[in-house]
Amino acid sequence: MLRFIIRRIIIIVPMLFIVVSLTWALVRLAPGNFYSGEKKIAPAVEANLREKYGLNKPWYVQYSKVLKSLARLDFGTSLRYEGQSVNQILWRALPVSATLGLTAYLLALVVGITIGTLAALKPNSWLDSLSMVLAMLGISVPNFVLGPLLVLLFSLTLFWFPPALWSGFASRSIVLPAITLSAIYIAYIARLTRSGMLEVMRSDYIRTARAKGLSEWQVVTRHGLRGGLLPVISFSGPALAFLITGTVVVEKIFALPGLGNYFINACFNRDEPLILGIVAFIAISVLVFNLLVDISYAIIDPRIKY
Amino acid sequence: MSASAARTTNLLGILCACLIVVGCAASAKNEVFFGKTNPPRENVLRYVSGSEPESIDPQIPIGQNEARICLALYEGLAEYDPKSSQPIPALAESWDVNKDWSEVVFHLRRDGRFSNGDPITARDFVYTIRRGLTPSVAARYASLAYPIKYSQAFNEGGVFVFDPNSNSYLLERDFSEAAASPVALSSQAEALASEYGEKQGGPDTSFHHLMHLPMRLVLPGKEKKRDDLLDKNPKLKAAVAGKQLVPVKAEDVGVEAPDDYTLRISLVQPTPYFISMMPHQFFRAIHQKTIEKFGSAWTEAANIVTSGPFKLESWKHYDRIVVTRDPDYWDAAHVQLDKIVFYLLADTVTMLNLYKAGELDVTYNHTVPAAWLEVIGHLKDFMDGPEAGIDFYNFNTTSGPTKDVRVRKALNMSIDKKALAAWRHVAPLTAMTPDGIFPGYPQPKADPFDPEKAKRLLADAGYKDAAGNFDPKKFQASEIEIITNTDGSNVPYAEFIQAQWKQNLGTTVSIRVMENKTWSEAQSKLDYKGMSRTGWSADYMDPFTFLSIFYTPAGTNSTGWWDPKYVALLDQANRTTDKLQRYQLLSQAEQLLLDAQPVIPLVVGTTRLMKKPYVKGVYPNAATLIPWKYAYIERDPSKWDYGMPDMSEPTFTYGVKSVPGS
Repeated sequence: MLRFIIRRIIIIVPMLFIVVSLTWALVRLAPGNFYSGEKKIAPAVEANLREKYGLNKPWYVQYSKVLKSLARLDFGTSLRYEGQSVNQILWRALPVSATLGLTAYLLALVVGITIGTLAALKPNSWLDSLSMVLAMLGISVPNFVLGPLLVLLFSLTLFWFPPALWSGFASRSIVLPAITLSAIYIAYIARLTRSGMLEVMRSDYIRTARAKGLSEWQVVTRHGLRGGLLPVISFSGPALAFLITGTVVVEKIFALPGLGNYFINACFNRDEPLILGIVAFIAISVLVFNLLVDISYAIIDPRIKY
Repeated sequence: MSASAARTTNLLGILCACLIVVGCAASAKNEVFFGKTNPPRENVLRYVSGSEPESIDPQIPIGQNEARICLALYEGLAEYDPKSSQPIPALAESWDVNKDWSEVVFHLRRDGRFSNGDPITARDFVYTIRRGLTPSVAARYASLAYPIKYSQAFNEGGVFVFDPNSNSYLLERDFSEAAASPVALSSQAEALASEYGEKQGGPDTSFHHLMHLPMRLVLPGKEKKRDDLLDKNPKLKAAVAGKQLVPVKAEDVGVEAPDDYTLRISLVQPTPYFISMMPHQFFRAIHQKTIEKFGSAWTEAANIVTSGPFKLESWKHYDRIVVTRDPDYWDAAHVQLDKIVFYLLADTVTMLNLYKAGELDVTYNHTVPAAWLEVIGHLKDFMDGPEAGIDFYNFNTTSGPTKDVRVRKALNMSIDKKALAAWRHVAPLTAMTPDGIFPGYPQPKADPFDPEKAKRLLADAGYKDAAGNFDPKKFQASEIEIITNTDGSNVPYAEFIQAQWKQNLGTTVSIRVMENKTWSEAQSKLDYKGMSRTGWSADYMDPFTFLSIFYTPAGTNSTGWWDPKYVALLDQANRTTDKLQRYQLLSQAEQLLLDAQPVIPLVVGTTRLMKKPYVKGVYPNAATLIPWKYAYIERDPSKWDYGMPDMSEPTFTYGVKSVPGS
């Protein structure tokens, strides 16, 4: 187990190197740069800018600077936002994305597993059909449609929740974005739970548990869910990584100061250090969460050993 | 499965029906205004200014979103008139200009204060201008200050050439070709009295005399560039040999403070539009000690010192900037708002949702998408004034069919711009300058819509059949295309123009939609065939801001067309001190430009923003830049704005002040 974990952690290093190098190359290949825009600037001013940010140096000098930044996990200051360091921006934006992401994640787990389990216990009943229809809707209605619809109903007609802006976790402003963000995950988790549970509930050890005289509640929670939730876990690990590292669309619709919003704008602005910093951060998160998922397999399913 | 599928369909149907009912309920009724109209309880204006600012250092960013925030935080020698956007006195109580418009003297008010209580003096403006020009600051708007003597040389890192033998500097006039050289000024230091007449030029100084000497020769600071230049000009090379190269320093730039409350600026050539640039954020007063102490962190809320009517309270990045009234501001008694909240978001739908829900009082320009106009356009809080911003297409005049002026003219003539403008609820652009923004400017007229003449021109250009008529098959439509970015209505515009050419000429020109920076790069490198969409908004309120696009062969000019005659006319106009005569000359230059047709003028922008009726003193002016000190919340509904506020009279006439609402 320990060897497995160490091996996986070591693998993170070359993966990061590849991800960051590829990203850097792509940013460099994209036309334009952070100061180009509709309003042209005087050639002398452009020369001053290139001097100031070291863009007039040969590519290998600039690339080695990127690698050094990666080694230190510090990509320096943003090109777009004068005087703000990439790490400063990451630590400022991450809590917002993480708060929203975790809320949506928990909501998705609780609602999704409940719906999925109920559906699986009474297959082909009206409850099953209803929950699967809802799940279908959740998967097929994209969040850029769902978000505005929720805003139209709850903000502009009923005036219950603000249509945008962020006031932190304990506020009404989190409700609509969290629902919008979690919808598709609720749907997936419900479907995964249902199919996982359907299979498990038919298996021999459930029959054994029932034969032992356990109550139905105990059968489901102690024995059924343990096996039935494995697909949910392998899905939700990476999902959590993506949820807390920022979601571009929802953050944009609700104007939230999260990582996703920074990321998309960094790309439009060709803000190289910020792009690299966020990409490296997301890459690390995904790798780490995948590792956690693999570890949790071993804990939940006694059959899995590393 | 069919039963469950049917159930799914039913459920979906019910859900859609619910949403439609909700949607209709939300948008129907005979509304006068869009959404809630309850004024905020406190004296706070909630505004949205666009995306997260690059910086709130007034000399760093170039976007209008930052400019509007800087307008609250900093003040300049002059301020924009809230209605006409013309310069009105601010930290300078008044100004005088010498007789040939080559020097401006600003008389500062004595009670100007920074937010930390320090007095604002002429020295602060000397610092502000020098700092904006410093190469290491790399301010992108530095070129705005290039009319000031030796400012360009300093910003470019140039060098003077000093001759130790004669103890003098080499002069520009001895080496430049007569025709291209800038205008010679009153190059002898005259007595101040004769230079300014009745007006006040301030105390005489040795710097002032220095500034009146003929322009020194400036060479590039970089050795390679300099050598290239010298190799091309043997006479210059011989003259420079053995001389000392002296870097141009900040102290050489033509700004001086002969006393604490007098600022004198010497210009390279007469620049009648110079005053109209003074309200620009680049020229607004910044605090030297703070910047030197904190470096680039000086704009953080804990460190910042500002000069405007409001000071920074907090900046939650990607969320909001809050500014509060500065009690130390010289005119604090007339500042009516306690706070302004600038929401930092750029998604127009989100913005309009906030506005409708009553969380936002005013939006910035172009925030109502064309598709929403049918719902919002007739409401009384929709502001649709003309704007000092234009949309046009560049032609690549260096290659392909558009090299031929007849083809360019024909393509221009076969677009019905009135129809285009009517479709997008804007005004057609009939020349290079927008109509009606510069009173008294005799605007020339471009060719009118005339498809028949267009066809004759194209036939003349060789695209004809045996009978000599225009033959669309001969025209190589595949040789040209429209490149455009996706912002705003740019793609629908391109499609409209494509349809016009199809309909009026029978030729199909393709459209290439590009990501923003990809498009701007292709355009500035002339790496496009045919047409490229672009736009321009005024940096200052003078026709020259539009005509100067083509002053240089490259840079802002992405057409490949450049004519020394055009530049000569512009120079001549700027030498002319009489306003109407100057306008006449600018107009001649504009006519020359229109005749050469390096562009297709399309439409003039409209402000297209939302303003709650209770917000007063905020006008949808042509520059959409708002001097915030005049804004206030009107709680009496009988005094609210029902429709566009009256903008015909400027709020201020020079020197006489009337504060609205007090």
